[in-house]
Amino acid sequence: MTLAFITQSLVSGINVGALYGLTAVGLSLVFGVMKILNVAHGEFIMIGAYAGFWLFTLLDCDPFLGLPLVGIALFLLGMICYKVLFSHVAKFVEEVKLKNSLLIAFGLFLIFPQIAQTLWTGDERAISPAYSGESFAVLGIRIGYVPLGALLVAVVVILGLHLLLNKTYYGKAVRATSENWRAAKLMGINVERTYMVTFSLGVAIAGIAGVLIGLTQALMPAMGMEWTIKALIVVLLAGIGSIPGAFFAGIILGVVEAVSAIWMGPYTVAVGMVILLVILMFRPQGLFGKA
Amino acid sequence: MSSKGKKYSSITIIVIAILISIPLMTQRSDVLTWFTLTFLYIILAHSWNIIGGFTGQQNLGHAAFFGLGAMTVRYAWLSGVPLPLALLLGGLSATLFALIIGFPAFRLKGIYFVIGTLVMAEVLRIIFDVLFPRASVLPTKMLGSYNMNSRYYLSLIVMGLMVAVILWLSRSRCGMAMMSVREDADAAEASGIDTQKYKLFAFALSTFFCGLAGGVFAYYSVAVLANSLFSPEWTFDALIIVFVGGVGTILGPIIGSVFFVLLKQLLSLYLPGGIHVTVFGVLFILVVLFLPGGLIQLMEIIRSRISLLRSS
Amino acid sequence: MLEVQNIDVFYGDIQALWDVSLRVSEGEMVALIGANGAGKTTMVETISGLLRSKAGAITFNNIRIDKKESHKIVQMGISLVPEEKGIFPGMSVLENLELGAFPAESRKHKDESYQSVYGLFSVLESRLQQSAGTLSGGERTMLAIGRALMARPKLLVLDEPSLGLAPLVVKNIFKVIQEIQDSNVSTLLVEQNVRAALRIAARAYIVENGRIADHGKAEKFLHDEKVIEAYLGAA
Repeated sequence: MTLAFITQSLVSGINVGALYGLTAVGLSLVFGVMKILNVAHGEFIMIGAYAGFWLFTLLDCDPFLGLPLVGIALFLLGMICYKVLFSHVAKFVEEVKLKNSLLIAFGLFLIFPQIAQTLWTGDERAISPAYSGESFAVLGIRIGYVPLGALLVAVVVILGLHLLLNKTYYGKAVRATSENWRAAKLMGINVERTYMVTFSLGVAIAGIAGVLIGLTQALMPAMGMEWTIKALIVVLLAGIGSIPGAFFAGIILGVVEAVSAIWMGPYTVAVGMVILLVILMFRPQGLFGKA
Repeated sequence: MSSKGKKYSSITIIVIAILISIPLMTQRSDVLTWFTLTFLYIILAHSWNIIGGFTGQQNLGHAAFFGLGAMTVRYAWLSGVPLPLALLLGGLSATLFALIIGFPAFRLKGIYFVIGTLVMAEVLRIIFDVLFPRASVLPTKMLGSYNMNSRYYLSLIVMGLMVAVILWLSRSRCGMAMMSVREDADAAEASGIDTQKYKLFAFALSTFFCGLAGGVFAYYSVAVLANSLFSPEWTFDALIIVFVGGVGTILGPIIGSVFFVLLKQLLSLYLPGGIHVTVFGVLFILVVLFLPGGLIQLMEIIRSRISLLRSS
Repeated sequence: MLEVQNIDVFYGDIQALWDVSLRVSEGEMVALIGANGAGKTTMVETISGLLRSKAGAITFNNIRIDKKESHKIVQMGISLVPEEKGIFPGMSVLENLELGAFPAESRKHKDESYQSVYGLFSVLESRLQQSAGTLSGGERTMLAIGRALMARPKLLVLDEPSLGLAPLVVKNIFKVIQEIQDSNVSTLLVEQNVRAALRIAARAYIVENGRIADHGKAEKFLHDEKVIEAYLGAA
């Protein structure tokens, strides 16, 4: 149990945590603004990962360079899903809207992995560009190029989102809509369009996260649910609607998982879940929710 | 009894008589398997219907109780415990766990309850997967004496019990109390209904039968793997069947189960495995968006159209 | 300028407005008077596009608006300050005002608009960075009105601006409303505070049970015994 070993675990924990944070941010954005809990979030991550895989294997496109393309593709997919499916429930009162959007997302959760299975078979895939396994050493700690790149991308995306929400008119319109959509309408804000764009943005972020995940982990059609659960844990821990909070909570989860992996072995996957359950026992409204 | 009531009773008796005599008419294993599995899914779906449909608590942890029941029954029965006792133990173990987590669970509201139950079931699955990584296969001695008929009748009996309970619930004050919790828990509480008590009772009843379903499956299966017994698929299948069939109704989950197992068997013959999930996913979405009452509502619509045509 | 013609408005299957017609001319202040639940809020929400009428027509400067989306109606120049004020509590006073100037046309004149709003409500200028959720009732009303003005509306619709406010604050608000009207912004004022409304309005409509019971010059109603008797409690 050397210091180097623990520090190495910390580093990989931060890397994974950044991905947790990124996926949580996409989910939190959509839920915070429109009160739609997209339990198919992980499925969009999966699609983004396979999209990156295709770009890399079919078009020889470097996965990092291909990120904007995947982002745009998933943005369009999100728009279609919203227009065709979720827009129908947006008009309901909040409780019914939540339940019905949950059910619709559940339907997608059933469908997407099957489509993925048909397109890519159940074999494990990975996005492995030439520099995949390479790393450099800093003070005896090995830092992989790919995980570092993923971390940087995650930070850039989240920073960009933060700036968008706070410094632009569109972003302020989004925040206004999430606080009071009727008053937002009276400001001249096209609330329907805001919802659509926000949903698509959340899906696009999921897609980008997917590519980054595909670079660091194996791809399988069924990988979605695990990531949905991770994102849900982070969102419920960080409090709904807090974007920076979601990112930091993700990193914390990643680090906690990495460190506890030393003792918990195969149970590690359950660590985040158990933490969530324990917190919910004492605070049924989540860490930052209102009672 | 009204004439309509008499009609339903006689139909029910005829159906029961037919179901009892099926193994006497054919010993084809595919037919018996299809019926046995349909009965199983009816138990699975209706048990969820109690908590999700009647009481309105969208419990996504159903698979945990299926798994607990299945594991208990499997190991009890293989250790020599007589089957009926083993089944009872299975149901009770599920209910016991439900009552333990029920108190903290029902403090959670809305999505927290939904996510919390799902996460809880997943934690259980991971724990059991680590503790029981290998499949439990029937010893060769038992394989030789494997009798499809006993599986068939067990499944039929438990299903009959399930439907009887559902029928009772739909007519009893207890059931009405549950439905009032679903419609407006605050108003129910204000009318003097102890919502906590009814939620827990519904939960206990739901998990007991889910545990029984797991037990039936454990008895039916030649080989079982803990990871699959606790797989969230059992929860999702129950949800699909109940919603597509008609949530909160009596016939809905029954028709849904028939439809589900039929489609699953048919589609898997001609198309790559798993396609039935896609079909059901699409149906699910259509139901949520356009036909919230499920197939039952569809049947009602067709029935009223036909009677309109007849009268004109 | 604004013409409402024979609208019927329903909440689901329940009818709330029957055959309602009213008119606001350019530069005018018109009052909508009536008891609680008479349908005044329903009327202004329909004008603003939050509700749809099942019959009749609404035109603004000769363009039909009854089928238009709310945000389009705002862009055309009608700003509603709703009864609940609708300020964004998690955002600052400045951000609230900024959002008022969301429509593209008004965005260009944002800085000018800030100045005129501060001129009317100086207290807002001193609380710019404060979170809007921490404002007092009177300050919220001022913010809501200021925000609506940021859109540089041609028609300002106020739904019960005096609701829940202390008498001194109400006096202040009405003074400002008069000032706004003096700057040639047409105003439609919904009020339960009948006397105050009739004093500053040119014309008034009496609303009862979802119908227009009477209308005419505001002065006439001020001296009308029936009106005074019916709404005395609300003075």
